[in-house]
Amino acid sequence: MGEVELSCRAYVKMYLHSCLFPRCSINGLLLSSSSAGGAVCVTDCVPLLHSHLPLAPITQLALTQVDVWCAQTQQRIVGYYQANACASDCSPTPCALKIADKIAEQFESAVLLMLDGSKMSPDDRVPPIVMYERRDSKWVLKDKHTIMLRQWEETQAIASQMLESGDHALLVDFDGHLDDITKDWTNQTLNAKIAELSSPANGNI
Amino acid sequence: MASLSEMYDVGWEEMRDKLRKWREDNCRNSEQIVDVGEELISEHASKLGDDVWIIYEQVMIAALDCSRDDLALTCLQELRKQFPDSHRVKRLTGMRLEALERYDEANKHYDAILQEDPTNTAARKRKISILRAQGKSTEAIRELNEYLEQFVGDQEAWHELSELYINEHDYGKAAFCLEELMMTNPHNHLYCEQYAEVKYTQGGMENLELARKYFAQALRLNNRNMRALFGLYMSASHIAASPKVSAKVKKDNIKYAAWAAAQINRAYKLAGRGNKENKCSIKAVEEMLESMQITMS
Repeated sequence: MGEVELSCRAYVKMYLHSCLFPRCSINGLLLSSSSAGGAVCVTDCVPLLHSHLPLAPITQLALTQVDVWCAQTQQRIVGYYQANACASDCSPTPCALKIADKIAEQFESAVLLMLDGSKMSPDDRVPPIVMYERRDSKWVLKDKHTIMLRQWEETQAIASQMLESGDHALLVDFDGHLDDITKDWTNQTLNAKIAELSSPANGNI
Repeated sequence: MASLSEMYDVGWEEMRDKLRKWREDNCRNSEQIVDVGEELISEHASKLGDDVWIIYEQVMIAALDCSRDDLALTCLQELRKQFPDSHRVKRLTGMRLEALERYDEANKHYDAILQEDPTNTAARKRKISILRAQGKSTEAIRELNEYLEQFVGDQEAWHELSELYINEHDYGKAAFCLEELMMTNPHNHLYCEQYAEVKYTQGGMENLELARKYFAQALRLNNRNMRALFGLYMSASHIAASPKVSAKVKKDNIKYAAWAAAQINRAYKLAGRGNKENKCSIKAVEEMLESMQITMS
């Protein structure tokens, strides 16, 4: 199928989300602010849960709210990400497939992204992600050559730096928002920090 | 690098008291415990009296959680010296092996404890944790069920089992575990709310109605539980929108949903006061409530 680009902002927030809850399975939604057609550009992500991923009510609630926010901000939901609590197992769970299916109903070229917990150290050279796309009603591995992360070294450096300085504690996922509704699940503060650290040359923040 | 006590101007007594509070509340803030505990035991161990041993244990477990094997080993060695034959310390040795992913050795360790003391619940639970860490959910569930037949009052075990069942999508059995927990902890709003979520997930009219009732119950126990409030709104809305319900049921559920919506709006308005950050959340919630109203009528 088509190409998928993953922006610095999306990657860093996913990374920080998994670092904030290292003992839990976490998930979230992948968003795009680009128009449909051509490559899928994942420009942002919304971290959702770190507990009880398979349960329906909060997931439904989050999907609805993110949908509304996307409509208000000219974005769309183009995928789903998950990191399993068991770092050595990065295969999609039934609940991951279910949610990804739902997203694919609205967006044909949806992607399912699994974070590989065993490859997330700063020494690992390649992005710790495994991506799936929908073909014949099944989720199949995407060809690695169709996945692009521009300026990967810089992105990885930003992610590590923010982890070192404890910025992952600033990340708010939907679960966290429900614990304290004054917290912002769109993570504007974190987005600003990421933008600051990115070089001006990096166009797809 | 400045010590914690220099940075935050705290004395060793405050650090010791903090650690005690975290013990009592059973917090898993391992990074903090390591920071505070490491400094406390390296600089002030002599002042701690008999507290020092329980602090060694607490810091050791936190160190394992943060992959600080050096610190964990130091604590463990002190404990071994002081309590050479203790099963409690042997369990800590086993936990260190688990952290190093030497599961076979860890299991042998726990088996040795159980040989000497078949009632040692800590060792049994560690063995089940190993199964969980290895991804062997079916075996973990089986062992945990056997454990609970003997130790039917172990709340922690019931909750662990409910989590395992939820991950396996076995919602009926998860509900059963949560029912046990609700019976023994009738004032715990979290169990009510989790039970309601499981029922909602199971689906079907009967389960939706149960979900709504238990979301309501959770709110009675804690009227700030946002998950319960949203859950009440969503379950009532779905019931009201169903073509299969009687006019009375529909009317009642519209009332419940309207009440919940008003509470949600109020909560978000309060949260939004003087707070620029969550403007997006407020707008999203308002629109969501509006759009669901349309589907109900």
